[in-house]
Amino acid sequence: MVVLTNLMAQQTIWRLPEESRVLFATLIVAGAFVLILGLIPVLQTLPPRGRRAIVVTVTFLAGLFFAAEFFLPVDWTAIFPKDDPKRNFLTPAIQPAQNVLQIIGALALGLGTFGLVRLHLRNAVQRRAQWGYSIVLLVSFVVMAAFSILNTLAEKKIVERGPVLERGFAILFDHTLIQLDAAMFSLVAFYIFSAAYRAFRIRSVEASILMFTAMLVMIGVVPLGAQISPALPTIANWVLAQLNAPAQRAIEFGVGIGGLAMAIRLWLSLERGVT
Amino acid sequence: MQARTQSVWQRMLSVDRRWLYLILFVNIVIFLLAPLRMPASISPPVQKFYDEIEKLQPGDLVMISSNWSASTLAENQPQLEAVITHLMRKQARFTIISIEAQSRDISYRLAERVTKEKGYQYGEQWAHFGFVPNLVVAIKGMVTDLPNTIKQDVRGTEISKMPALRGVKSLSDYKVVIDVTPSGTVPAWISYSPKNLTILYCPTSVMAAEAYTYLDSGQIKGMITGAKGAQEYEQLLGIKGLGAPFANTISFSHLLIIAFILLGNFAMLMNRLQARREG
Repeated sequence: MVVLTNLMAQQTIWRLPEESRVLFATLIVAGAFVLILGLIPVLQTLPPRGRRAIVVTVTFLAGLFFAAEFFLPVDWTAIFPKDDPKRNFLTPAIQPAQNVLQIIGALALGLGTFGLVRLHLRNAVQRRAQWGYSIVLLVSFVVMAAFSILNTLAEKKIVERGPVLERGFAILFDHTLIQLDAAMFSLVAFYIFSAAYRAFRIRSVEASILMFTAMLVMIGVVPLGAQISPALPTIANWVLAQLNAPAQRAIEFGVGIGGLAMAIRLWLSLERGVT
Repeated sequence: MQARTQSVWQRMLSVDRRWLYLILFVNIVIFLLAPLRMPASISPPVQKFYDEIEKLQPGDLVMISSNWSASTLAENQPQLEAVITHLMRKQARFTIISIEAQSRDISYRLAERVTKEKGYQYGEQWAHFGFVPNLVVAIKGMVTDLPNTIKQDVRGTEISKMPALRGVKSLSDYKVVIDVTPSGTVPAWISYSPKNLTILYCPTSVMAAEAYTYLDSGQIKGMITGAKGAQEYEQLLGIKGLGAPFANTISFSHLLIIAFILLGNFAMLMNRLQARREG
């Protein structure tokens, strides 16, 4: 207990000792690996209620950690004289916890990639409907990934950037991926145009007010509006700042309160489908 | 039995959507290629944005959060180019961070091209922090310990050893953060970044309406809205960029949409009158 108190006072408990960092890191990673491998069969033997209890406890503790770090008073010098008065004893743990969150975020990307590849590999191998598209996806995925990884390594000067890599990455990224992505999104403009022509009808007073306001803003915010009349940009800016802002604020208050309620429900595992 | 012929108004109301697509396409192509340049009237949020950058001293640090992919290239690219040009003109140091995987490469290549044209040195005057998967976590980490959160730039150089970031310990050492994004990422910067940091915003047009509450409260000091905001900024800087042709095209597309909304309503009205007359 004394050792723990001293470590907390020196705020080194959350950081690995500098002199044996590699050894400690290896031990921690190996320990975590063994723990997870051991936990999987244990979790599988547990009844659903037992599994739920574990998930609920871990979720609650994880949420409690961030809430406690944020809400706990920062000045603990009365108890730990060596303590930094600008932070509480949990603050030094925030950085490692955030590193863990970044790793989980990266793992989610890996999990998504794994799922995508597995699905399309199965489609291709079993010759399911439209399996040709799966082949196209897998080939594109492998080629793009290979060139992207090589490009990143070249940026870090780990591999040499040859003309094949330079040209290949430019063709795949600049001249293919970016153009396709931009073209896909630009299709929205055509749908908006068609929808506006068909659906934007003056059927009531409210619809009329909405339509004429929208028209004023649409033409007032673009350069053409200022050419038609210098008053149009002023009117458009007035609508945005004086009418739109309060309405947006009201919506955001509602969304914020809803978000808070949802966060508490998730933290306390009250949402359906948590486990 | 003879099929009843459609009136002009009914045919207008049930026009094949492909004709509409073609009209819009022709409109876009003509005004994108036409050498027509209309001066923009500078909106207050853009003017405030410009004024905030003008306040920077040589060597001041600016964080650019670039979170856009190619889908919003038409709006975010002119914004980012104009902003980087202004930062270089003020001799400010800047770093770029991306929470969008594709944006990491797009923003890095764009910044590399723009800075090379002006002789700005990577590592000395600017750097790219690469891709981070979670913005809130990254901001909170940078607030407490920036070098340990980011660790390396895109070229694999340790952050603590970069001349551009000498002496930088946390986000508090920055003066300004500029969020170039099509997503709702700016509340994260408002919520978690240090209070001394000035937040500037470059959203797509569709996201701008939501930001007026933050402009009103002063939590965002300035905003460049989409391509038309980029055009205004280019005008303030006195440069020719992508913003002007894009904004002109948007101008005439808006006009076309308004004309067709009016036409659709007129056709609906005439059709109703005709139906009433025919009983």
